[in-house]
Amino acid sequence: MTLRTGSDEATHAFQLPRLIRLTPNLYAASFMLMKMIPARYILRQAMANGLLEPATVILETTSGTFGLALAMQGVHLDRRVVLVSDPVIDERLYRRLTDLGAQVERVPAEAGTIVGGFQVARLNRLNELRAAYPSTFCPEQYSNPDNPRSYAVVAELLLECLGQVDCVVGPVGSGGSMCGTVGNLRSVLPDCQAIGVDTHGSVLFGHADAHRELRGMGMSVLPANLDHRIFDSVHWCAPVAAYQATRQLHRRHALFAGPSGGAAYLAARWWAAANPNALTVVMLPDEGYRYQDTVYDDAWLRAAGYLDSPLPAEPVAVTDPRFPQGAWTSYDWQRRSYAEVLGGHQLLSGVG
Amino acid sequence: MPAQTLLAPPAGTPGPAGHANLEVIGIGFAPAHHGELLQGMFLDDAGVPHRALVTLPQPALGTRAVFRPSYTHGGVLGPSELIKVRRAAILTLGRLPSYRSPAKGGQIEITSTVPHGIGMGSSTSDVTATIRAVADSHGHPLEKEEVARLAVLAECASDSVMICDQVVLFAQREGTVLEVFGQQLPPMLVLGCDTAPEEKVDTLRLPPAPYDRSEIAQFGVLRAALRRAVAKSDLALLGRVATASARINQRYLPKPQLEMLLRLCAEHGGCGVQVAHSGTVAGLIFDARAEQVAANIDRCADALSDAGLAVTGLIDPAGRGDRQPAPAGA
Repeated sequence: MTLRTGSDEATHAFQLPRLIRLTPNLYAASFMLMKMIPARYILRQAMANGLLEPATVILETTSGTFGLALAMQGVHLDRRVVLVSDPVIDERLYRRLTDLGAQVERVPAEAGTIVGGFQVARLNRLNELRAAYPSTFCPEQYSNPDNPRSYAVVAELLLECLGQVDCVVGPVGSGGSMCGTVGNLRSVLPDCQAIGVDTHGSVLFGHADAHRELRGMGMSVLPANLDHRIFDSVHWCAPVAAYQATRQLHRRHALFAGPSGGAAYLAARWWAAANPNALTVVMLPDEGYRYQDTVYDDAWLRAAGYLDSPLPAEPVAVTDPRFPQGAWTSYDWQRRSYAEVLGGHQLLSGVG
Repeated sequence: MPAQTLLAPPAGTPGPAGHANLEVIGIGFAPAHHGELLQGMFLDDAGVPHRALVTLPQPALGTRAVFRPSYTHGGVLGPSELIKVRRAAILTLGRLPSYRSPAKGGQIEITSTVPHGIGMGSSTSDVTATIRAVADSHGHPLEKEEVARLAVLAECASDSVMICDQVVLFAQREGTVLEVFGQQLPPMLVLGCDTAPEEKVDTLRLPPAPYDRSEIAQFGVLRAALRRAVAKSDLALLGRVATASARINQRYLPKPQLEMLLRLCAEHGGCGVQVAHSGTVAGLIFDARAEQVAANIDRCADALSDAGLAVTGLIDPAGRGDRQPAPAGA
């Protein structure tokens, strides 16, 4: 009845994931660039509300894919984009961002020693820049409620294509994708389960802040957009488990995803196998190109010691979410708030 | 409900040359509805929001309108309390090509079995039947889109009872179809009840619901789910959509018994609850293909009565009324 048409913009074509059936009861929602969804929605909303004058600078703190999505949108909207990043930014991403016209500001390397690490240093630099430009717009992916709201389109896609979804598994960073997708799905499917996948040394679900190697998930500060009450359970994946799962996803299903997707795949595969009558969807936020020299390089993996330890068959269920036990742990979060779960415990990090 | 004002036929009115009066009397019919399966605010491709709804038709009830044209008198005479009906007739006369008939005005007679003021579309039914009757008298049947446009002009907001051969997302204040979901609803039976028999809701006095952006996002999700439910004839999913829409509406025109209705529905094997978003009726949705559905509905109707709710009848949206219980209030 409706003819398919071409997209007017690359960013529109990038937006929605492809749904791929991995096993009889497990689907992958495979994104090229998941962060395009909130970037596009937030900037269009700002445009409609008159917050993006021709001279307005789009300003955000990010080292990753949200910045890339903003830079791509900046091309379509003809707006200047300034991104505040960590001192070390992937060189290929840097070249791509600057080719799109974005300006990348790196915080100094010594900022890593302060409490909260680079994430706090980036926020401080952002505030300086905000004062320096006459007109700025900050998308604020960590606190802007339009971030989770934008993921209604993913819930629409899942409902239209699958109808019944019993469990959604995905990595957690800003909280936008999981809280937005599951929150909207639950208006129709209130019993749909949510499994958040975090990594060791991330404060999101109670670990103490520590150096994290795994990109694309975990945080050093608690983002306002993370509504803990969405989650039925939480899994923590160490890099070794995430990387091996990422490679398995590639070898078994020819799906070329980044390691945050690999970590989610590990948890999702386990849950789907344990619940054969339930339909599970796993979110794969980006593609593997940025990780070809690391996760997808056996020599690199071996040198880092990631090829030697076998992948656990199942997570270690912990009773205290603050302490990791091994490469893959899980905790029964039961849709409680952060305070309900961790209120009785002293916060281990200085933020929150 | 008794026939409303019956005006005397315009005796002696001259008709067009060669035509007997009998031939130019127009007759129109329109069914009632039983609230909506979904109502809210939806974005179009350009991101523009539209208020829209998906009607649950109740074909067992309806309005019959008879239009008797007058070739001398420019006014439209009709039941005085039905201002919208007269407005609809005037609008329709203005829309029809005058070469079809030299009628200047006429008289309208309305016979309706639709209860008033509880969200079953009595007004839309009257207006739609009238538009069809006037068009019929001109021998010029109107497209359903045109009937929809005229109905909305006459009464500001209409359910989509004039579009009976498709399941549509209908912009009730614009008279346009935003999306065609399919040809028919999944086979279903809806046990209707009036949640507030003492109350009457004046639809036009209700301020339009000020949906927030989170709700608009949710409506997009419900629309996608309904698209699948109709395409796949998935009544369980359709029931969930109706329930979700009813829940959102609790912020605007709450049905105090909604949670109880949901519980009774689940206990008797139903799929969900739909409501009149600008009325007091609600319906418990059952799969017409399910085993024991008749017995389950009977037991559920008893439970509703025990809970003090007035059962308004059984709705079969695909039916023709021949298997229906007596209309409410008849």
